[in-house]
Amino acid sequence: MKLKGSYLAAAAATAVVVAFPAFLGAYPLAVARSIMTYMALAISWDMLLRSGQISFGIAGLFGLGSYASALAVLRGGMDPFTSILFASAFAAVMSMLLGLAILRLRAMYFSITTLALMEIFKIVIHNLHDFSGGPEGVVLPEPIFGGSAPALFWLCMAGLFMTIGVSWYFEKSKMHLALTAIRNDETSARSSGVDIFKYLLIAFVITSTLQGMMGAIQVQSYGFTTPDTAFDANFTLLPLAMALLGGIHSTIGPMAGAVLLGVASEWLKLKIPYGHLIVYGFIIILVILFMPQGLVGLARKTIRNGRTGVRHE
Amino acid sequence: MANKRNATVLVGLSLAAVAVIAVWKPTVLIYGIQAAGLYASIAIPMGLILGIVHIVNLAHGEFMMLASYATYMLCSATGMDPFVAMVPTAAVTALFGFVIYRLTIRQALKAPELNQLILTFGIAIAMTQAVNLIYTSQTRKLSFEYVSASIDIGELSFGIFNFVFVLVAILMVVGLRIFLTRTTTGKAALAVGQNPKGAAIVGIDVDRTYGLVFALASALVGMMGALFITRSSIFPGVGSPFTMKSFCLVAMAGIGNIPGILGASILLGISENFLKAFRGLRGWADIVFFVLIITVILGRSIRGKKA
Repeated sequence: MKLKGSYLAAAAATAVVVAFPAFLGAYPLAVARSIMTYMALAISWDMLLRSGQISFGIAGLFGLGSYASALAVLRGGMDPFTSILFASAFAAVMSMLLGLAILRLRAMYFSITTLALMEIFKIVIHNLHDFSGGPEGVVLPEPIFGGSAPALFWLCMAGLFMTIGVSWYFEKSKMHLALTAIRNDETSARSSGVDIFKYLLIAFVITSTLQGMMGAIQVQSYGFTTPDTAFDANFTLLPLAMALLGGIHSTIGPMAGAVLLGVASEWLKLKIPYGHLIVYGFIIILVILFMPQGLVGLARKTIRNGRTGVRHE
Repeated sequence: MANKRNATVLVGLSLAAVAVIAVWKPTVLIYGIQAAGLYASIAIPMGLILGIVHIVNLAHGEFMMLASYATYMLCSATGMDPFVAMVPTAAVTALFGFVIYRLTIRQALKAPELNQLILTFGIAIAMTQAVNLIYTSQTRKLSFEYVSASIDIGELSFGIFNFVFVLVAILMVVGLRIFLTRTTTGKAALAVGQNPKGAAIVGIDVDRTYGLVFALASALVGMMGALFITRSSIFPGVGSPFTMKSFCLVAMAGIGNIPGILGASILLGISENFLKAFRGLRGWADIVFFVLIITVILGRSIRGKKA
């Protein structure tokens, strides 16, 4: 019964989101798009985190996708929609090649390497003036779908739903068991016959593809990009804070965190033009120190305690 | 045995490379060593924390940035010289570092490594954005005449002020060596770094040692923040590249190997300035750091597998 209820709620929520363009203006739709982009990145970051690997390179894959898509249109004469598929495939191939090397690293070495890779992508794009437009960036002839607000919204939404779908599949399938086993104890996972490298590579390639796809969708929607916007550290930082606040190792946690922080930051941006990101810094610190399970974890605990009648005063 | 021979070959090759560069492009060598001094003196405090407290402090560069702003305020208000101002700045950052340690990092010492990494990442953001909030992202600069001091040797003319950083780096290495091997507190810190449980059993106050090391490292990086404004303009994001570079150097040297940081810095300083010497390649100089860090990390992991 309970399961049916949650499916119904999910279907209702989906219907409301799909209908957004019917009753929202251009500005709220643009805000919704940016929140959906961050949400997709937060979920994809979390998907890799479920294996215990923490990536600081979200912006790297995002930027790589942006540039692959923009350059495919400009230099390759590709149609904008096809270029998004091309950019996703490009991110997949790149992450596969990189993953073969860097997925042997663990803990802080993996994290720092992903951060360094992002910087390398950025410097390469910066310096290939003739091909990538250098620091001034690239301008596309026109945004995808002629820049129609509802169409852009649905495109971004499609990207997000795909991410949610994959993440949900990760949660329900054998992937979940494999990734959790790797996170909890690699040695015992290996001795129980889990092919660690294979699962890490699958997770890394899939999450990178999703991040590259979101980058491509972003660049096609805005019609221009520069190395500093495509590889903006915020694309690493915000998803991370969102996933942490909502609750890591789940799909629903990063979603909740993205809605909360996305709306809050839009409001703060208007109030404090400089330094509103300080809120993100404090959220990360406070969440790590006081509720490492995030809001969703906190809610689950409260419900569980309420049900069994255990109260800790 | 093979290792020793490899090391000899490596040292020989690097000496040969240095000799070639010294003859062919002497300024590369000079500016490379000057840059190395700066990198090393910023990286050494991070190496100290990583070697003893075993925490990767991703807010390392931000500590320096904060100290630079403090020095900037102090110097522009009183007309003090940064070389004088570095004493009060170091004292303040030591206290600040200690407070940050007590309030946040200490609570996460037993948490998984990921939590510590994300925690210091959050601290870095909070610091950058706090400065952004107060001072906006405008760049600030103090200029001093002595910075442009230069010297002529034959046809060669080059700035000499930046050799200060080389001197500071050497003083840090020597000072820390004396502190860690000659004083009781230093020996205790070294013991805690090697084995915290064992150190606790023999009666060393581990928690106090961690706090002390954190304060000491913060004081050193605060001192560097004060000196940093003599050569560079400052803005909220000025410190973050140094976090990466410092970590890169510490990782190259190997955790706990403080003199090794000096060697790694020289390698990076010279290779960076080598690329900068060619007009067409100038923009690529920044990539050296990141390519090297990945190479070193991967190399270590592969060698670790074999052993």
